[in-house]
Amino acid sequence: MDQITLDILWNRLIATVNEQAAALMRSSFTSIVREAGDLSAGVFDCRGRMVAQAVTGTPGHINSLATGMIHILERFPADSLVPGDVLITNDPWKTASQLNDITIATPIFSSHKLVAFCVNCCHALDIGGRGLSADSRSVYEEGLFIPVMKLYEVGKPVEAIFEFLSANVRTPEEVHGDIHSQIVGNNVGGKQLLAFLNEFGLADIESLADEIIGRTEKGMRDRIRALSDGEYRIKLTIDGFDAPVVINTRIIIDDDELTVDFEGSSGAVPQGINVCLNYTRAYTTYGIKCVISPDIPNNEGSFKPITVTAPPGSILNARHPSAVGGRHLVGHFLPSAVMGAFAQALPERVMAPGFDGLWDTHIAGVERGTGKHFSFTWFSAGGAGALKDQDGLSATAYPSGIAGVPAEVIETLAPLVIRRRELRADSGGPGTFRGGLGQTMEIEVLTDEPYLFNGLYERINFPAPGLHGGKQGQTGRLLTSNRAELKSKISCRLPEDTVVTLEMPGGGGFGSPMQRDPMRVLNDVRNGYVTPTSASKDYGVVIDTERWEIDGSATKELRHQMTE
Amino acid sequence: MNLRIGADIGGTFTDLILIDDSGKTFQVGKVLTTPDQPDDAVLVGIGQVLAEAGVDPGSISHVVHGTTLLTNALIERKGARTALITTAGFRDAIEIAREHRYDMYDLYLRRPEPLAPRFLRFEIDERLLADGTVRKPLNDGDVRSIITSLKHEEVEAVAVSLIHAYVNDTHERRVAEILSRELPGVAVTISSDLVPEIREYERTSTTLVNVYVKNIAQKYLRRLQHRLREEAGIAGTLFVMQSNGGVCEIDTAVQYPVRVVESGPAAGALAAAHYGGLLGYKNLLSFDMGGTTAKACLIADGEPAVTGEFEVDRQYQFKKGSGLAVKVPVIEMIEIGTGGGSIARVDAMQRLHVGPDSAGARPGPASYGLGGSEPTVTDADLVLGYLDPAFFLGGSMTLNMNDACRAIQHNIGERLNLTLMEAAWGVHQLANESMASAARIHAIERGKDVGKFPIFAFGGAGPVHAYGIAGILGSPRIIYPLGAGVMSAIGFMTAPLSLDFSRTFPGTLNNLDWQGVNNVLNDMEVEGKKALSRIIPAEQVSFQRYADMRYRKQGHEIRVPVPGGILSDSRRGELKTSFMQVYASIYGHTMAETPIDIVSWRVVAQGPKPRVTLPRAKADSSREAESARKGMRQIYLPKQRNTVEAPVYDRYALVLGTVFQGPAIIEERESTVVVNGPGDIRVDEYRNLIVDLLQQG
Repeated sequence: MDQITLDILWNRLIATVNEQAAALMRSSFTSIVREAGDLSAGVFDCRGRMVAQAVTGTPGHINSLATGMIHILERFPADSLVPGDVLITNDPWKTASQLNDITIATPIFSSHKLVAFCVNCCHALDIGGRGLSADSRSVYEEGLFIPVMKLYEVGKPVEAIFEFLSANVRTPEEVHGDIHSQIVGNNVGGKQLLAFLNEFGLADIESLADEIIGRTEKGMRDRIRALSDGEYRIKLTIDGFDAPVVINTRIIIDDDELTVDFEGSSGAVPQGINVCLNYTRAYTTYGIKCVISPDIPNNEGSFKPITVTAPPGSILNARHPSAVGGRHLVGHFLPSAVMGAFAQALPERVMAPGFDGLWDTHIAGVERGTGKHFSFTWFSAGGAGALKDQDGLSATAYPSGIAGVPAEVIETLAPLVIRRRELRADSGGPGTFRGGLGQTMEIEVLTDEPYLFNGLYERINFPAPGLHGGKQGQTGRLLTSNRAELKSKISCRLPEDTVVTLEMPGGGGFGSPMQRDPMRVLNDVRNGYVTPTSASKDYGVVIDTERWEIDGSATKELRHQMTE
Repeated sequence: MNLRIGADIGGTFTDLILIDDSGKTFQVGKVLTTPDQPDDAVLVGIGQVLAEAGVDPGSISHVVHGTTLLTNALIERKGARTALITTAGFRDAIEIAREHRYDMYDLYLRRPEPLAPRFLRFEIDERLLADGTVRKPLNDGDVRSIITSLKHEEVEAVAVSLIHAYVNDTHERRVAEILSRELPGVAVTISSDLVPEIREYERTSTTLVNVYVKNIAQKYLRRLQHRLREEAGIAGTLFVMQSNGGVCEIDTAVQYPVRVVESGPAAGALAAAHYGGLLGYKNLLSFDMGGTTAKACLIADGEPAVTGEFEVDRQYQFKKGSGLAVKVPVIEMIEIGTGGGSIARVDAMQRLHVGPDSAGARPGPASYGLGGSEPTVTDADLVLGYLDPAFFLGGSMTLNMNDACRAIQHNIGERLNLTLMEAAWGVHQLANESMASAARIHAIERGKDVGKFPIFAFGGAGPVHAYGIAGILGSPRIIYPLGAGVMSAIGFMTAPLSLDFSRTFPGTLNNLDWQGVNNVLNDMEVEGKKALSRIIPAEQVSFQRYADMRYRKQGHEIRVPVPGGILSDSRRGELKTSFMQVYASIYGHTMAETPIDIVSWRVVAQGPKPRVTLPRAKADSSREAESARKGMRQIYLPKQRNTVEAPVYDRYALVLGTVFQGPAIIEERESTVVVNGPGDIRVDEYRNLIVDLLQQG
């Protein structure tokens, strides 16, 4: 196949999955899917290898989808499927490590011959159980577990599954609606795929898949081979639930193969922050891709040269029936672990660790005056880590791409008053390039009764470390107006007059702060990102805040003293 | 006789058109844009078209104008020194934005700098609650102390955006009052006046964009108005094209310059819709490809769709989420980084990519001979024989074939082990693929099957690529209007007077405060009628009502037509049906039980649509296509995988009724129609070229 033909076919295949994802995203009922693109879509060949993937979604969905199809085909081998069949599962160990994430796979037939699978994974609004939380002690408490099953058989819905679903979820109509959207999305992709095969006179995508996967694998292997062979390690500690969790990372580069081993990481815990290996692999390969191959397409070939291992029973390879509903609370730190280890091999390509774990706040209670019950959940972001030549982004999610909720929307939907939402001065780790700032959010509840407060927060005890001489970002803090005690993972009733302040962590700095251009420090101080005190204490830069100038000689002397 | 002029300032050229209602006068003109003083080119161009048509300036009833001046000021950050006043605790809403990354894998992504730096963002200790009640009253003294700082900082423009001001504007109005009294000459925009809609980041961002370019808009438009009257002798009214597909008076454009930022592309889509109406196509894909980008817009049921939001100053070429959010009505289209100047490259994995980076006008494509060495789409089109090196822009510029061949051969052919022609074809076809794919996604997002839509192709490079794109999309027909380069100016002529109003007044369909809804709608209509009746008789003003509705828990609203008259509980069914229809047309299904929420209400006040009559050609059956043939040229035909001799026609010599077959090349001054395969080609009475594609695949 010549390169131009391959490029055209390849582009068209990617266009096909993008259309599949667009159809699904536009018709989804769940705001989390629509606003955050909390879904993924891909085309797989008959052997279950991912060939192309839509450019939307979160790494957790995208990369666990890639490995999930193999598991689905183990249960239903390709030759057992007929036109009109649709497969479903939410098995966390086989797909996205959380019961809310439902995968739908549709075999696509061309005149009764299986040619490919259109597959997508999408976050369901509800799946029963305790609702999305980390409180469960086993997966049994987390909701309805759907093994790999046929949702449609020869074009007919398997009503029993729909009835089970309806009876087990809190919002049956939305969940059904989203599953319907998932099926429609696959159909749109399938229709496009068949038109594409027809146009180019292809019988199936197998030989195209071989080319795409082969070339991608070669591209990936070339990148790995360009790295120095060796072992690179880092040990990251995060807050965890009741006790700190250690993520012990070892990257082994051996010619054109890369292994990430999490041996020595903490064991699984009783609460639902355990991670299935699929998800560990998803966020690990994502971190690797950000560093060495952001431009290489995501398909079977990009995963082949990479092996991810974690001891069975560890928090990163939890065994059934561990609770896994809050797996992102640990999984989101894996790209930082990868960056930390890579910092020795590729010092200039990595990003310093950031706040990493989204701050998840849930408040429920009774509205003052009306007596109405309310319940509201939202996610917020701290600061991202700094890079070789760029400050970290403030209040920006990484690695998850989830968008925040406007204060006006929060206040319209719930009797809450956001009294403040501002960037947190000095929270970014000092460095030649500074970590991104966290944000401060002050929340008041308009109620006359004690209210339920659930928080899943991170980096309260363990900050985001800096890299290459950069300093750590500030840890997060929780404050209340009446000395009510808060922990980083909390579910409690707070007195009605409690005003809660969330101070979110900042990202780590990159390079020594002594090397930071004093003009940047001046700009930071002028804009209040850094206080004058921190400018002198952390950066050795003396600022005249009357005239907004750098005191050159005082700075020179201070920096000299500090580096002595 | 009602004579009107359209003047569209683009990056390179300023296009002009002079028409009357009868279709007798139809004069187009093109002059080089004068970036330092854009009105110079407008004056020169107007002088030219008037002279050529032999029309007296005194008889011009009005001039419609559009410009990229404000967009450029935003991208180049050449607007006012701007400050922002917010509610205490919220000066960072503009910087925190949506807290998300717009690209998953690029660690180095950047976000646009807010138009007001943090040290120029001031907070006032006032607070409204979500229902508009005052929790903490505004203290005038606080405003005055901010004014001291604003003076000290020599601020030229101030945006005011207070929390929940979209439900209660009293605090913002008070702040504006004090500001305008104590800071005369400083531009002020308050969010509740410009965009009274929920979501503080989007509202604040829009307010900042508006005030940032307010001084520039005012100075420029007033000067143009003055010079038209004094120097050109045109007493007619000056209107400005808006992004929503309507025109407004100068006063409105000066007050709300953000509404005119995307006027050029909007007008192109309007022109497409107009031609569609003329030729009997209710559905069309408008396809406009220029030097750096391509824009596609679906015209369904005769109208381009209007959406509520766009972005300026995108940091990542064309990537959604990477720019400053602007919440004003705009004709919905998709823009991608594929144009004549887009650079083709081979990546580390030996894959060929086209765009999104562009060689621009300088150094431009390799064949421009201005120092560009990287191959571009234009270079590929030249190598393939689609363009005539001696007849680029009607011969006003020559292209260097050798440089084009060298760039393609060296950068692509050698690296991929392809012949020169194969490499050039790869560039051409990959450009087509990405444009077709973007158009198809755009259609899917609107629930339409683009394969059934004829393509309306214009812009300098549109006619070169439309045939290939039609093949990919399976389109039945392509329409190539005459004057592909002045479509925006023609679009100006078809735009009605139009003003948009919106109010956030949330509620649930099953339990609406109908009295409140009627008040909100009525207020907007009264305001619209008052504004428009200054220009046209009040009885000519018509209204369209819309509501932004969604199923509960969905993140985005859809715009739903709302019936006129007094609304009440008995008419709830009409609203519900309207919502269901729009929803089903986009998403293909509806939900029976899920509650429906309404977030905002909108009114579009419009004047009558101006009549535009295009000149019609007379049939001349004695003229065969043969007589319009300029010669023969070797062009690359993909089916044959080889170059073949094909006829080249002079577009201006083709007359109504001429019928011929592809492959063929048809040249006009501003573009070249490339039919590099089979197709039935004919000329219609407006001298449009119509190409019917034969059975594909």
